[in-house]
Amino acid sequence: MGKKADVLQGTLTLMVLQTLDSLGPLHGYGLARRIEQTSGDLLQLNYGTLYPALLKLEQEGYIRSRWGVSENNRRAKFYELTRAGLRQLKRATEDWEQTTAILARFLAPAQES
Amino acid sequence: MRKLRALWFRLCGMFSGKRGESEFAAELESHIAMHTEDGIRAGLTPEEARRQALIRLGGAEQTRQAHRERRGLPALESFLRDLAYGSRTLAKHPGVTAIAVLSIALGIGANATIFSMISRFVLRPPPMGDPSTLLAIHTVRTGDQCCNPFSWPQYVDLRQQAKSFSDVTAYFDMIPASISGSGEPERVWGQGVTTNFFDVTELPMLLGRGFVSSDENSPAVVLGAGLWQRRFNADKDIVGKTVTLSGHTFTVVGVAPRAFHSVDQVLYTEFWVPLDFAGQLMPSLPTKSARELHWLSVVARIKPGVTQKQVAAELRTLALRFAHDNPATDKDNTFAFEQAGSLPPKQRGAILIFMAALLVVVLLVLLIAGANVANLLFAQAASRQRDMAVRLALGATRARLRRQLLMESVLLGLGGGVIGVLLSLWATQALSALHIPAPVPLDVSIGVDWRVLLFAFAMSVISGLLLGVAPAWAASRPLLSNALKGEDALARPGRRISLRNLLLVAQIAMSVILLCVTGLFLRSLQSASSIDIGFHPENVLMMSVDPRLNGYTPERTAQFLNQLQQREATIPGVLSAVSTDVTPLSGGHRSDMFHAVSQQAGATPGSYADLYMATPGYFDTLGIPRISGGDFGSEIADGPKSAIVNQAFVQRVFAGQNPIGQHVTGGHTTYQIIGVVGNVKSRTLGEETRPVLYRSLLQTVASDPSGLGYTLLVHTAGNPASVQQAVQRQIHALDPQMAIFNEETMEEHVRTAFFLPRLAAMLFGTFGFIGLVLAAVGLYGVMSYAVSRRTREIGIRMAMGAQPGTVERLILRQGMTLTLIAVAIGWPVAWMLARVAASFLYGIQPHDALTFAIVPPFLAVIALVACWIPARRAASINPMQALRSE
Repeated sequence: MGKKADVLQGTLTLMVLQTLDSLGPLHGYGLARRIEQTSGDLLQLNYGTLYPALLKLEQEGYIRSRWGVSENNRRAKFYELTRAGLRQLKRATEDWEQTTAILARFLAPAQES
Repeated sequence: MRKLRALWFRLCGMFSGKRGESEFAAELESHIAMHTEDGIRAGLTPEEARRQALIRLGGAEQTRQAHRERRGLPALESFLRDLAYGSRTLAKHPGVTAIAVLSIALGIGANATIFSMISRFVLRPPPMGDPSTLLAIHTVRTGDQCCNPFSWPQYVDLRQQAKSFSDVTAYFDMIPASISGSGEPERVWGQGVTTNFFDVTELPMLLGRGFVSSDENSPAVVLGAGLWQRRFNADKDIVGKTVTLSGHTFTVVGVAPRAFHSVDQVLYTEFWVPLDFAGQLMPSLPTKSARELHWLSVVARIKPGVTQKQVAAELRTLALRFAHDNPATDKDNTFAFEQAGSLPPKQRGAILIFMAALLVVVLLVLLIAGANVANLLFAQAASRQRDMAVRLALGATRARLRRQLLMESVLLGLGGGVIGVLLSLWATQALSALHIPAPVPLDVSIGVDWRVLLFAFAMSVISGLLLGVAPAWAASRPLLSNALKGEDALARPGRRISLRNLLLVAQIAMSVILLCVTGLFLRSLQSASSIDIGFHPENVLMMSVDPRLNGYTPERTAQFLNQLQQREATIPGVLSAVSTDVTPLSGGHRSDMFHAVSQQAGATPGSYADLYMATPGYFDTLGIPRISGGDFGSEIADGPKSAIVNQAFVQRVFAGQNPIGQHVTGGHTTYQIIGVVGNVKSRTLGEETRPVLYRSLLQTVASDPSGLGYTLLVHTAGNPASVQQAVQRQIHALDPQMAIFNEETMEEHVRTAFFLPRLAAMLFGTFGFIGLVLAAVGLYGVMSYAVSRRTREIGIRMAMGAQPGTVERLILRQGMTLTLIAVAIGWPVAWMLARVAASFLYGIQPHDALTFAIVPPFLAVIALVACWIPARRAASINPMQALRSE
């Protein structure tokens, strides 16, 4: 399977929130495609895992959904960010940046040697 | 917060199954359609595009399942499914379910009732601020039993010198007073307290405040909530108003909380006055200066951070210091303490043993009930083995089957628990209504509180699980091949002793123990009722007054009683009227050490004797036989004192010599003996006969007044209750302010004296009966099951020529063998346990021959009857049908 990476635990949520923040309301399929595109097609999403994740976010109140019509006139469920979602996105982004920064420090000397 | 929100949505999601499902189906449909369109646009065939879309999705059904699980709470859902299935199964066998639930209900009900006693007397903290830092402190003479109260100087020293306490308070625990307010005057009991009492106890007052130090010099009173409601119609503006206690005016400063009656949680007192004003209500209170008079209960609040160990160490040091400074009074004195509101130290041992014995008995009842239900469940498991085998064959896991069977037995346990709690609600009420023979009001009511509910819940779940675990285990492992063929799949080959027979033997053995104990207490009640109390309680009405509470001088009190007797004697139907201080069988009042003045030959060193006051005619009124000498009647109030003694007194003090004309001395007073009367039970029914000395009421009223008032005894020709109104009217005609209390007939009063044997016989009788019924039902159930299982075998036997009588004997023999084994185990255990019960038995030995001889045959007869019915059924089996039916 080679180059295509799986989605790291917990990062899918962040990707969903970030994507919804930058692009506004999206339906599930659009969201999935968008995440793949943004990753430069390095990520291969299992679309089936996306929907329970969306449901969890909705239950937690970070996103909300409503039925609408897609670009090719198809009925679809659109998801959009709530204010709580926006706050959560900021929090999660900071956490993630911190984690990666720490990890980077650990990995840096290893690369030198 | 977010997690909670999500949980809430998932909980809701469980109940919107259909809608959520179809909505997600639509969403998934549109996803696949869009994906397929994209595929077609990229040049794939429609079929291939759709296939790709489904692959990337990871399967439509799997996705739906993942979504469904996230929508609801799968663990809870399967739990609820088990619950629903379990309830349906139970409902399908209403007979078995009812017997099982009732069995458990009886067991749990008995346990909850006894536990409510333990909760009330052992576990319940007093309704005061932080009970854990509140100590009750006593003085103990080295070598003596615990415990004595404090004297005032000792209390003051302790309060000033002890560093472990933030403050120490003292109170005198029982002060009678007649109280004004709505309705007829009433005698109530209260306490005299130091003004820091409410600060140390940190009582949350219902109205107003507790005392402050300036109340020391003002007649202030705190009312109990019950009294405030009863006498003052719960007047919200009572604070600042005045009430009259025994003719003295007191200003109400507050109302104490409803749950509070006394620090010790046993006495039932209803008002509190500053200690310095208690003397107004009770002139006989000891003086504060006397260091040798111990009369104050002491309660202390530990400083934050001080441990009980440090308290004990400091009290030891203080005791030594006090003994050094006051060798005359404090030598050998030590201090003891316990958490305030615990059982009174003197009675603690006996009460704990009694409750422990009861707890053992009710646990036995529950075990018997449990064995019963377990056996029923076994029978049920046997009849469901095919069902189980089919489910196993279809792929259900054993764990799943077990979980489901356990769910059923826990449901049974909980059902039993609910009914059991209802039963104990009724039982605790009945027990609280019993009247304890004590001269002062006690608060011993019990009820079902949250601790009892928690206990009952835990017991229900635990017994449900324990009951179910063996049958569930067995039922989940049927021998598949046998079960599917319709043969018995639970009886494992090569096992002779089945678990069911073992349960049955244990159950019957336990009922042997229970029946022996029950028999002992029933015999004890029987023997108690044949105790000769020494007087005739028939046709005597008693009614108490305390003229001192209305400010009467001793002379006026004697005059009042005398006038009253004369007036009562004129009522039609009244034969005589006399007075005493306290009636016999009231738990005792006064006693002193007595010895003969002139040591004649054979005189003993003396003896303790109980003291009673009497007026002329007292002995004839109560039917106490006058043996020799005369009656009271010719005394002068301040002349030389006369006394009449009972035969036990003559034995103990005069070694049986004629005492008439002799002098005895005791309690700083010398009496000339003018008569001898028969023995009566003085304090309690079960006592060894005590020496008693009767004093002339006229001569004693002034020098040694009664703290419990005076009791008028009216002997009537007919039913004493019929003159009650007339007697009351005469009292109020003499003084409308006079409070009347302890109104009852002497027969009722004597019945109260049977409290302990009656309580024991009632409790053990009930539990013994329950245990017996349960054991009989259990035996019947097991034998019926055995018969139904052996139908085919019996059929063959009969086809081969066995007579119905032989078959009947076969079944009976099986049941009786089990019973005999059980009796052989249970009887010796009961024999050993009986010794524990010894201290609660009246007039019979713990190894009472009759009880131990009757129980085994009695049980055998019950067992025989329980086996008889299934045996008859076995004998009436039609061999042709039996052989065809399988």
